[in-house]
Amino acid sequence: MELNAFTWIIVTLAVTAWVFILPLQAVATILVLQLVLLLYIKRSKTMLAAIGGLGVFTGLMILLQLLFGSSLSVSLFGGLRMLVMTLAFLCMLATTRIQSIAKALVDRFHLPVEYAFMLTTALRFVPNFLEDSAITLDAQSCRGYSNRGNALKRLLSYVVVIRPLVMRAVAKSETLALSMELRGFGANTYKNMPKEKLTAVDFAVLAIVVVLSTYPFWKKVLLT
Amino acid sequence: MNSVVTVSDFYFKYLRSDLVLKNINLEIEKGSFTVIIGPSGAGKTTLCKAMTGIVPYYSGGDYAGDVKVLGETTKGKKVSDLAMKVGLMLEDYESQLVSLTAGEEVAFSLLNHGFPPEEADERTRLALADVGLPGRESYQLDELSGGQRQRLALASLLAVHPEIIVLDEPVSAMDPDGAESLYKLLDKIHKEHGTTFIVVEHRVEFVLPYLTDLVAVKNGEIAAQGKCEDVVSKIYEDAELRPLLPDLWQVKCNLEEKTGRRFALWRSSNEAVKELEQNGFGKGVRA
Repeated sequence: MELNAFTWIIVTLAVTAWVFILPLQAVATILVLQLVLLLYIKRSKTMLAAIGGLGVFTGLMILLQLLFGSSLSVSLFGGLRMLVMTLAFLCMLATTRIQSIAKALVDRFHLPVEYAFMLTTALRFVPNFLEDSAITLDAQSCRGYSNRGNALKRLLSYVVVIRPLVMRAVAKSETLALSMELRGFGANTYKNMPKEKLTAVDFAVLAIVVVLSTYPFWKKVLLT
Repeated sequence: MNSVVTVSDFYFKYLRSDLVLKNINLEIEKGSFTVIIGPSGAGKTTLCKAMTGIVPYYSGGDYAGDVKVLGETTKGKKVSDLAMKVGLMLEDYESQLVSLTAGEEVAFSLLNHGFPPEEADERTRLALADVGLPGRESYQLDELSGGQRQRLALASLLAVHPEIIVLDEPVSAMDPDGAESLYKLLDKIHKEHGTTFIVVEHRVEFVLPYLTDLVAVKNGEIAAQGKCEDVVSKIYEDAELRPLLPDLWQVKCNLEEKTGRRFALWRSSNEAVKELEQNGFGKGVRA
């Protein structure tokens, strides 16, 4: 069972809204569902590291809130909300091809093609960027760069790595822009890609989203 | 001569630079395998860009003269429309790849130019097979080796069926085996599809068996152009261009100069040995 990218975007957006309108128990249930889904999709070290990283970040958020004088329950619920929101995006990225997300954003949300293309291009250049940074680090190490000393010293000395890396990235982006121009990038880029239709499962999920999103309204109706 | 590219009285300078191309008059024959040679900074890359309309219409700058591709001027044409007739592979081919998978990469131009997805798929399949990457449509770019990514860049040019393909130093970052196999592939495409190839190359040795025409560029001007047989000796006479000729041709020109005899244009060292032996240079000559 595979959901359409459009459905995933809607679900992700809905979850970010639900964390504010649904009661604590419901938000906690969503969290459990998200964790089950993520571990079902990929039970790898990378996935666990991603979830763990978000967990640590949530812990920091809770600590900050406590430091600024919020009560423990408010801080915990705030942290839970943030974790559920970010996990929703992780679920979307883990289940859907970034190309499909970009296409859905252009087709159904009328996002300008340039912005949608940025999503895929950013992902495309991550390996190149990592490779470049390793090369630059080696090259500068040969010239005497060292990452020893205190944090500030290390940060300042890292400029000698960052600068050539940025210059390389700019040069690459110029070539990329030229390549896109040569290959006719524009309004047609997403229009002619094969259409991804919504299935019955998508409609069912979207219906659930509508019902849950109008929860405060139903609650009022049912109580009266 | 049936020319596919005609450059007439072309001058060009980038913004805030000196003249990069001066008085360029050049004709590229249909179906030829032309190699452009010249010292670094001579204007070879800019000349390639002029043939694809990037110079001056994309890069900006001042120009005079005209460039015609397949009989039509590049003036007022969209760079992407011209690219359907004349494909360009830049030296940094890695950054030229824009998609996440091999199939999407090849189909990118086709879909942008309004080809239906079914036709784009079929052309993608054939282009990948042509470059020796059959069935790799779903491969992520980082699953391909450097050489395979270069072939992929070539496949994305081939898929639009351009009549001319321009390659700027395609083997500059390759080992000799990789360079040889890429040129073998280009020769196969050249013969099978009749595509006109224009290649900027510093190491002409690799392309020796295949090239038909030579263009020598020096200080932004054309120093020599034409069939290899006609221009090699002229290039040899120029001390700055001489080292750019393959060793075999330098030996040939040197022997001709010393002995006053004429030799064929050797395409391999075996050919050279054979002819030299036939001409009484003794059995001591080795390939």
